Amino acid sequence: MPTIKIEGTGEQFEQTESQDCILRAGLTAGYGLAYECNSGGCGTCKFQLIEGEIEEPWPTAPALSARDIKKGRKLACQCKAKTDLVIKMRTDPEYAPINLPARFEATLSSRRDVTSDIVEFCFQAPDSADAKFLPGQYAMLTFPDGRGPRAYSMSNLPNGDGVWEFWIRRKPGGEVSGALFDELRVGGRIVVDGPYGHAYLRAESERDILCIAGGSGISPMLSIARGVLMDPDMEGRQVHFYFGGRTPDDLCGLDELKVLPGFQERVHYHPAISMPEESPEWTGDTGFIHEIVENQLGNELSRFECYLAGPPPMVQATTKMLQLQGNVPTGQIHYDPFY
Amino acid sequence: MNDANDRKHFYVCKEDDLADNEMVRIDPPDQPPVVVYKVGGNFFATDNTCTHGEASLAEGEVDDDFIIECPFHGGTFDIRTGEAVDFPCVLPLKSYPVTVEGGCVYVNLDEGKAPA
Repeated sequence: MPTIKIEGTGEQFEQTESQDCILRAGLTAGYGLAYECNSGGCGTCKFQLIEGEIEEPWPTAPALSARDIKKGRKLACQCKAKTDLVIKMRTDPEYAPINLPARFEATLSSRRDVTSDIVEFCFQAPDSADAKFLPGQYAMLTFPDGRGPRAYSMSNLPNGDGVWEFWIRRKPGGEVSGALFDELRVGGRIVVDGPYGHAYLRAESERDILCIAGGSGISPMLSIARGVLMDPDMEGRQVHFYFGGRTPDDLCGLDELKVLPGFQERVHYHPAISMPEESPEWTGDTGFIHEIVENQLGNELSRFECYLAGPPPMVQATTKMLQLQGNVPTGQIHYDPFY
Repeated sequence: MNDANDRKHFYVCKEDDLADNEMVRIDPPDQPPVVVYKVGGNFFATDNTCTHGEASLAEGEVDDDFIIECPFHGGTFDIRTGEAVDFPCVLPLKSYPVTVEGGCVYVNLDEGKAPA
């Protein structure tokens, strides 16, 4: 079992047999290794190898620029220790997990079609161990035969029944989402590793909530909205929920929001579609969701705690709009960039 | 050597103190820190604090392409203008005029400008 030391910090941890990368081994040990996406896409978990040998199955992960490769930087979410290591990597208490991640094999207890390409999967943890996470967080799912991992956000709330619910969109050509859709039936098994992520509900914030979701980003936004309405301490907060799809068939989540206590008074649901030419019967908003948010909330954006989830171009365009046009401070914008 | 009040002519270092693609952070009184870069034999200066994540850019890396890469999230800025180039950096930095006189590098802290 290799030991990984982080140079200059005194921090060290072991990578156990079942752990699949340096990053998640360190987080599971409770250390604040810098990270965001956990999927090779953002580059926050870059490190320099000082001593030892690693396995690096994906040396061309998109987060590694030509400059990174030239300088020998690696991604902690994509590398596994083969021997004891000394690495140089940023750590910060803000990254230390609030709920320690755990890795366990769960059983699919139900599945339900939500739209033509989004399915709700509910997994049951063994012995109904508490599902401990914060609304908005994600977990890594891996098939027992090794396919994966992929990051998916939970759509439900933490619970004592051991239920981990995900709304997953089928990614065209996606190996893991394709297998989840085509192979996984009730009673099937999946390895869950989580929770991870920083785009969780800030229950202590006094601000009203702005949720902006595109496509599969509905899953964590549903969790956030549920978290706000079910938390008695957040009673005064309003939720402005924007959801962008391509066509009306993509829009979902309203039924689940409607059953929450206080929905009528506190939730403002704004669906929009980006391909109106395909749906002449649509009379609602059309265009990109960040443009619709800007048009409707323009000069009051800075009063919101903002949660975003969706495809990277949507998250980037929305973040830019919130900061440049909305003057929203970075600290009020929350997203995990793995979609 | 440095009159602390002389914001228009604030002494940074000797011209030869920095090699190409090196930078130095300065902490002028009454304003956030500034970083002065040397690239291709020329000097440039911007705010030192990344507009995204509170990181010190002086701990990042600058290359021949005039791009400073933030050490935290890998976002980038153009050191000549302060413009944000790569996500997650979105808001620009202020850039400052730099002069070299008699082998000494000075920055004009009163003329910091963000790109339009």
